[in-house]
This record gives sequence, C-alpha cells and structure tokens, in this order.
Amino acid sequence: MSYKIPMGPYHPALEEPYKLDMTCEGETVCDASLHIGFNFRGIEHLAETRNYIQVIALMERVCGICSNIHTLTLCQAMEQLTGLNPPPRALYIRVVMAELERLHSHVLWAGIAAKLMGFKTMFMTCFELREKVMDVLQAISGNRVNYSMNRIGGVNRDIEDPLALLAMIEQLESEMVRTVIPIFTTSTTAQSRCAGIGVLSHQKAVSCGVVGPTARASGVAQDLRRAAPYAAYAEMEFQTPVEKHGDVRARLLVRALEIMESCKILRQALTKMPAGEIHTGEKKIVFSTGTATSRVEAPRGEVMYSVSWVKDARNPSRVHVRTPTFVNMPAIRHMVIGARLADTPLIQASIDPCYSCTDR
Amino acid sequence: MTPLESIRKELRVNDPWIEKGNVHWLESEGLKVRNLARTMNSFNARFVTITAYQLPAEQGIRLEYHWDLDGQLLGFPFLLEGLEIESIYDLCEAVDWIEREIHEGFAVNFVGRDYEPLLLREGDKLGVNLRQEAK
Repeated sequence: MSYKIPMGPYHPALEEPYKLDMTCEGETVCDASLHIGFNFRGIEHLAETRNYIQVIALMERVCGICSNIHTLTLCQAMEQLTGLNPPPRALYIRVVMAELERLHSHVLWAGIAAKLMGFKTMFMTCFELREKVMDVLQAISGNRVNYSMNRIGGVNRDIEDPLALLAMIEQLESEMVRTVIPIFTTSTTAQSRCAGIGVLSHQKAVSCGVVGPTARASGVAQDLRRAAPYAAYAEMEFQTPVEKHGDVRARLLVRALEIMESCKILRQALTKMPAGEIHTGEKKIVFSTGTATSRVEAPRGEVMYSVSWVKDARNPSRVHVRTPTFVNMPAIRHMVIGARLADTPLIQASIDPCYSCTDR
Repeated sequence: MTPLESIRKELRVNDPWIEKGNVHWLESEGLKVRNLARTMNSFNARFVTITAYQLPAEQGIRLEYHWDLDGQLLGFPFLLEGLEIESIYDLCEAVDWIEREIHEGFAVNFVGRDYEPLLLREGDKLGVNLRQEAK
C-alpha cells in the first residue's frame, strides 16, 4: 500500500521553502513531484522599474550565496549594450571574487551536507573554513553577503595587496587536504550515506539539461570558464573535475575537487594581477537599443542573463535570469525515485539547491 | 562543413547565422519550433532556456530559444501570433519549467501540453510579468 509524505515547504533539511511530495511504498520512494514559488518576488518585473545603477543592487539580491555572480553576469550583459570593456585588472578582480564566492558556496554546502549525514563535527569544521573565506570577502569588499563589487565597465573596489590573500588560500587548501577531503572520501559515515544513493544517470543529466557540479558528477564535462571563458579565465590554468557515478558521493567529490581548483585559480589570479585602472571611469553611460546575453559559471552551474534596453530609456525593458537551480531542481525527482525515504533530505541537498534564485 | 552550417542545412533555412555578442542567432520566418527541437536533439545540443519579451504596443510577444552547442550559445527568435506556440516538452524534457513559467508570466499558451502551477498558485491570474497596458 502506498502513502504520501510531503517534505516542506518548511523542513529542517531545507534552507528555504520548497515542497517535495513523495509517494512511498514501505521505505522506498515510488514517485515524487516538486513545488516551488514560495519565494517568488517578481524580481524580473521589478527590474524594469530600476535604472542601470539600481538594477545592479536589485539583481545582487536574487541570491544570498552567489550574489556577486548575478551582478557579474548582469554587468557583462550591460557592457555589451554600452560598448564598455573593463580594464584587465578589473577582469582579474572579477575572477578573484567569483572564485572566493565558489569557495564560500562549496564549503557552506559541504557543511550542510555533513549535517544532513549526521556528521556534526564536519559541519563545524566546514563552517569554520567558510568564516575564513567570508573574512577575506569582507576585507576586499567591506561586506559579508552582498559585495557590491561589480559595475558597468569594471569593479567598484581594488584589491590593494593581492599577495596578502595568498596565506588564506594556503590555509584553506591545507585544511581541505588534511581533514575535509580525506574524511568525505574515506570515512564510513560519508561512504554509507552518500555512495550509490540519489543517482542521476548520464543520460538523464543530459536530457534534463542539468548544469554545474550536478552535471559534472554525472559525467557531463561542461564548465563555462573553459568552454566560453569570460573575465580573465582564458588566462588561468585549471582542471574541470568530472565524476561518472552520478550519486551523492560523486557530487560531493566534484565540489571538493573544485575547491582545490578554485585555490589554484585564486593563486594565479592574485600573483599575475596586472596593474592599472579598475573601471572605465565616471563618464555618462549610454545604452544602445538591443538585447544582450551573458553566461557565467556560478558555484551551482551556469547562470544566464538576457537584458533588453531601448536607447535613451531610463530602465531596462527586460531582464531575464536563468539560474542553475532552475534547471537542476527538476532532476531531484529522478534522483529520489527508488531511494530510501531517510536519504531524501540529503539527496535533494546534494544539488546545492537555491530556492530564492529559482523563484526570483 | 561546420556544425552551425550543418544545423542550418538540417533546418532548411537560407538565412545566415548572425553572431551578436556571444550568441549565434538564426532567424527565419519558416522555422518551426518542433523541427528546431528535433534538430537540436540530433546534434546533442543542451537546451538552456527560453526568454520571453513583451514587445511595445500591441506587437505581441517574442520568444528566444537558446541551446548550447559545445560552449557556443545558439539563439532562435520566434514572434508569436496570438500568444500561442507549439510546446516542445515531449521532445525536450528540460523545457518543462520554463514553458510553465512563461505561461504564468506572459500568458503564452504552449499548445499540446498540460500545466501545473509553478511560481503561482492554483487560480492565480496569468500574465504577472506583463506590463500594465497589456493586461
């Protein structure tokens, strides 16, 4: 006999509200459906009432974790419409901010995943590491969440002593190598909770069009930093970690390895950062009529912005945001079918969902 | 022949690809969205999204379909007649949520599929993203 179990919209495993309705037989999930919209704020519509300065501040608030990525993608699109090209130093600072944000996001996720595994000590270790990353973000930008770093034609703040950040990178890297990665990859608790559960096959990953670590954990080797480089990524050397098993452990491994790659990118960006201006100046910004599209590899995967403007208009006529969780979340249904009910909180968390991003 | 030219040939479109920004655009009056979806599937392109634009006055809605082909972003614009276009959900699973979102936001009917509420709730009025004059 089957019965229904709702998870959410308010549940200890969910950072924000969404609902997973599961049909179970015994302890096994037979079917599931997802319900979103609990954070729908109409941000895209609101963007049409904001000028080019205000719209950056607005879109920074689409997501609390990857706020910098949203303004980066938006500014890249608006730079196409204004013909402004950021100076090289600004492009390097954008890479530093994007990679610090990836570290922050991945370490935060690792902590939450550890908590859902029942591994509270690891949760505390990860959050301690995350604090260190946030301290650096605060030292650069003055803010811990919404950094206000990006502007049309560059960035708002310089990194005055890039080499001073290297010590933090080394500390983070050694802590990852010393504790987080070995424990996540070898401990019995992590193995038994993660290996073989929540599998998303390569075929399903392709048909669902999933992105980011969720895709790479199912053998889909796509990373916009490499496939369609932006900012200064064309000048960075790094690997794209790919796993083929498609389970929670693979998603965990991909993120852990990406932390190491982020450290590698940060070290290059900080040591090679060219001198010079950080933006194109204070001259009046003039938009041409048209539509521009920009994509960026956010911590959770590809973010895409489409921005439409009419010349001499005060506000954009359209801002469309396609977030990574918007495409990753429907795949949760395929991951939980056949899983044990007790594993579903960890399975849904394994895509690192961001509900605010999704609902906008 | 490049993959882009192969796609154009497969779609039987005479108009050229136009590169603007980081997007390769293919616009043709004769282009059918379901034929496009089948072609993209055959080239193993990854569906990215659909962006809806409300055009000024009563010019209607323009939809821009995007696929990714090995890092190249492809764009295919469609000007809607009567706020309707064929759904490609049965051909491309990834399109489900964005078709539902555009249905709710711009009151576009994707013919040939059923809807469940996505961002709105049962009974809410469609077209929440439409500007006031169009409501």
